[in-house]
Amino acid sequence: MRENELAVFTDAVKHYFLQTTKEPAQIHAAYLAESENLLHSQYTGLITLSGTFRGCVHFSAPHIMLLQLLLIMGEPDRSESQLLDVVGEIANTIAGNVRRHFGSALEISVPVTIKGATDSIRAAVRTRPFVISLHWRNQDAMVVVDIEPVQ
Amino acid sequence: MGQKLLIVDDSSVSRSRIARAALHAGLEGLTICGMAANGAEALQISAREQPQLVTMDLTMPEMDGVTCIDAMIQQLPSVRILVISALSDKITAITALKKGATGFLYKPFTDEQLAHALAEISAQT
Repeated sequence: MRENELAVFTDAVKHYFLQTTKEPAQIHAAYLAESENLLHSQYTGLITLSGTFRGCVHFSAPHIMLLQLLLIMGEPDRSESQLLDVVGEIANTIAGNVRRHFGSALEISVPVTIKGATDSIRAAVRTRPFVISLHWRNQDAMVVVDIEPVQ
Repeated sequence: MGQKLLIVDDSSVSRSRIARAALHAGLEGLTICGMAANGAEALQISAREQPQLVTMDLTMPEMDGVTCIDAMIQQLPSVRILVISALSDKITAITALKKGATGFLYKPFTDEQLAHALAEISAQT
């Protein structure tokens, strides 16, 4: 993935927080990681990429960040299922927004959501994904991007 | 006479957010006649409730939004459909509009943007 393509993802993350909460998220770092060292947070939304690309996009965030997002959205139901729903919706929104750059040939799945950092999340990522780490309201979250064109 | 709105989105958080924003958008007589989590469920509700307005997500399980728009336009030719989707490439928007959608709003959206988009499609006849 080229640097400008990684920027498409960081822009999508920043846009999500600013548009939804009117409070910007700070991007700490965007770097090439080792999948075996990935530390997912309490809740993760996974999108599988297909079409002329393959890979996945994860958004992983702590419980308190998702609770605060639901509060800002005015959501009265802040149950476990809604926390999972919102983490999936964020992953879906980020992956959908990058089609502005990659085009409609980048097909995205409906989100799969997971509570807890399980091995199955790491198994879905190939060896060297990009990680975007972000900070919002004193909480850290991350976006994992594993994308490559199908040859 | 007031208009009936059907909300179609596979995210329950998005459905309830759209519902709250729509009810606060100042559209006189607007009522929410149903919510659906996929296209197939939406077609059942629209056949029963005959909504004038629909908000439609695109990426959904069982039946996606574009397929649903196609079928819903056959069912209710005068229905006005506002697509609300994160899929932000031009081809997707053009495809949805060609199938019969009235407008397109990208996620993530603000409540003000949703109110404006709903006011626009509800004013169209």
